[in-house]
Amino acid sequence: MSQSRLCKPWEHSLSRRQLLGTAAGAAAGALGLGALGGLVQPAVAEEMKKKEKQVLFIWIDGGMSQLESWDPKPGTQFGGPFRAIPTSVPGIHVSELLPKSAKQMHHLAVVRSLCTQDNSHSAGVGRIQRGDPKNRGVTYPYFGSAVANLMGPCSSKLPPYVWIKPGSGGFIHQDAGFLGPKYGALAFGDGKPPENLLRHESVSAADDAARQRLRQAANDRYAKLRRPTANEANSYVYEMAQTLMRRADLFDSSQYDPRDVERYGTHELGRHMLQGLKMLEAGVRFVKVNSYGWDTHGDNFNGHLSLMTRFDQAFAAVVEDLADRGMLDNVLVIAMSEFGRTPRINGHVGRDHWPEAWSIAMAGAGLKKGLVEGATNDQGTFVATDEYDIGHVFHTWFRCLDIDAFDVEYDNGGQPLPIAHDDMKPITNVLA
Amino acid sequence: MATTEQLQARYAPSEVHQIPMDRQLHCVRFSPCGKYLIGGDFDAKLRRFAVDGEEPFTELPPVAGHHGGWLQPIEFTSEGGVMLTADSWGRISAWSYDEETPQLKWTKEAAHDGWVRMLSISPDGKHVASCGIDKTVRLWSTADGELKQEFSGHQHDVLSVRFHPRGEFLVSGDLYGVIKKWDAAGGECVGEFDASTLFLYDRLQDIGGVWAMAFDKEGKTLAAAGTKPDHGGTVQGVPTTLLFEFESGKLQHTLTMGAVKDCYVHDVLLHDDGFVVAVTSGTPGTGQLLLHKPGDEQPFFVSTKTANCHSLSLHPDGKRLAVVSTNKGSNGNGRRLNKDGEYEGNNSPIHIFQLPAAEQPAAG
Repeated sequence: MSQSRLCKPWEHSLSRRQLLGTAAGAAAGALGLGALGGLVQPAVAEEMKKKEKQVLFIWIDGGMSQLESWDPKPGTQFGGPFRAIPTSVPGIHVSELLPKSAKQMHHLAVVRSLCTQDNSHSAGVGRIQRGDPKNRGVTYPYFGSAVANLMGPCSSKLPPYVWIKPGSGGFIHQDAGFLGPKYGALAFGDGKPPENLLRHESVSAADDAARQRLRQAANDRYAKLRRPTANEANSYVYEMAQTLMRRADLFDSSQYDPRDVERYGTHELGRHMLQGLKMLEAGVRFVKVNSYGWDTHGDNFNGHLSLMTRFDQAFAAVVEDLADRGMLDNVLVIAMSEFGRTPRINGHVGRDHWPEAWSIAMAGAGLKKGLVEGATNDQGTFVATDEYDIGHVFHTWFRCLDIDAFDVEYDNGGQPLPIAHDDMKPITNVLA
Repeated sequence: MATTEQLQARYAPSEVHQIPMDRQLHCVRFSPCGKYLIGGDFDAKLRRFAVDGEEPFTELPPVAGHHGGWLQPIEFTSEGGVMLTADSWGRISAWSYDEETPQLKWTKEAAHDGWVRMLSISPDGKHVASCGIDKTVRLWSTADGELKQEFSGHQHDVLSVRFHPRGEFLVSGDLYGVIKKWDAAGGECVGEFDASTLFLYDRLQDIGGVWAMAFDKEGKTLAAAGTKPDHGGTVQGVPTTLLFEFESGKLQHTLTMGAVKDCYVHDVLLHDDGFVVAVTSGTPGTGQLLLHKPGDEQPFFVSTKTANCHSLSLHPDGKRLAVVSTNKGSNGNGRRLNKDGEYEGNNSPIHIFQLPAAEQPAAG
């Protein structure tokens, strides 16, 4: 029989059918995990702190202005209206729109000398998140999928690549590129769990078990008629759903400490960042939190006044909390966009796309603390020191995760492929 | 009030002069004596022009090195030759301006915590009101800069402030479209106007607010201008001016001053003959000068030749209008260098319009 051309399970939002599982449902019901609150068991957290590297990837979609954030040039032609303020590290200044993050500067490593290759969103988002390797005729994975593939889940067995995003959720298999759909992102739209995560109270555990046996039988029969990758991804999604059912607490924001909610911000990014922290605490390998709406071609300065304020609140809170919990030694924190914004201010008082000279903020695993690497010129127009492309940054991230990008390769069905741009190397100045 | 046709015949302006600039400007204002046109630029420099010299609008030496960030609001006392300026770093300064070089009278380095968005001077010239992103409105003595009053109550950035022509009231408009009416002497809030249609919260972004305000000469009508926002990021919205009956707070007219791409009304004034003069700026390349009679569906004059207009000022003779615009082709992604390989900024040419047969002095 020919292989089906019907749509695949991972092309849809997670459905109720995929998420109902006997063992998981029974476990969740029996353990009553929904009422435990968001914190992971202390012993588990301690174990993770000891040996498991994780990533918090904060994606600012559209392009954060480097001049209104990490590389201010006050009092210059392109500097904009805002002042620079001192940080917790003497001699390092950031925009006044980052007052809370300035107090966390001693945890941060900021690179001000990024010079990347693409000034369009359509290509830039992918190129940056894939590390822009040399073209070898394949679609490279996003960083989250790469980590999911290279490192797998943490010992928690929770999904390795979780994306907390505005809007709708689902399984974003496209992120995985040639690695195959199972390494895609499990996306929680507005931080919400898949619908009907828990077994409905009207369904008894015994009935549910019977259903699952039937489902398993059907699944086995289905698998025999499909490509192995299709079935593998299908099973993978199901297993993730089962695991998640045991951690329904991760989605119950009513259990969060109100002081944390206030500190992170009740806005979208604040809520999602706090949930991202809970995911990390629970043992998710790679958590991506993102914000949309940063493409400020018009009214850039009023725009950044409110956007940065909310970013600052959530970012500073999560860095502070990871540090306080001792997790920053093992969690790599990255905050970035697909490019920066033009020094030139257009007639709509906006800034356009600028990959020529922009900044990235990082913290945590494997990085030095409290430093700025690289510099732009006095006007902030171009990089004045060595330029770093995203390939350098990918090498740096992999090194932070104890992966040597010069030794480790992907195996694309027998084709060895480098995991980062093979002509680039880590930014050693930021590595601890 | 004159008919629309009469207003058209009397006031439809035509451009008679253009002042090239090497920098972008936020605003220009004619001095009450009519001798000077003063602008504030993105380099925090005070740019000055002699209006009626041998060559019209000859540039005088700028005042640099005093303000920081963006030099935005510029206002004058009607008498006494005092000019008030403020910047985005929180400084307010007073100058005597009718001299070869403006002389600093006083300055307050931290008048606000950050961006001072607007100034307004009391009709008697004794006080200047200021507002800023620190959510406050403050009242200062124009003579010596002494803080006289603080008006507290706004929950969000205060973007605009105006004295009532009789001087006993002050209005301030904020980011969320709340306009507060204050007893200028006592500091009490005595009323509010609802301009919340000029605000939108989209994703993480606060968009809009009361960007500009103006009174008519008798103080019966308050104009509040900005945009009806459509979405954030690259902000778009319909440029809009709301006209309130000041006494009752009732919204009388909503003037739609363009399409979604035209976005913001950046500056507005109410002419003595009862019509609204406004400039707009939106998607790079768009921008309008509009003259609109309240009650009419359409403006009786629109110029789209001036791109991305950010400020306007009517000369005290009522016959000349200065409009700050932006050079064409001001936007563009990525590396774009001039023929000499330099990275250039944009600039703000100032357009001087003549009002053909203005018969009476107008509000400035």
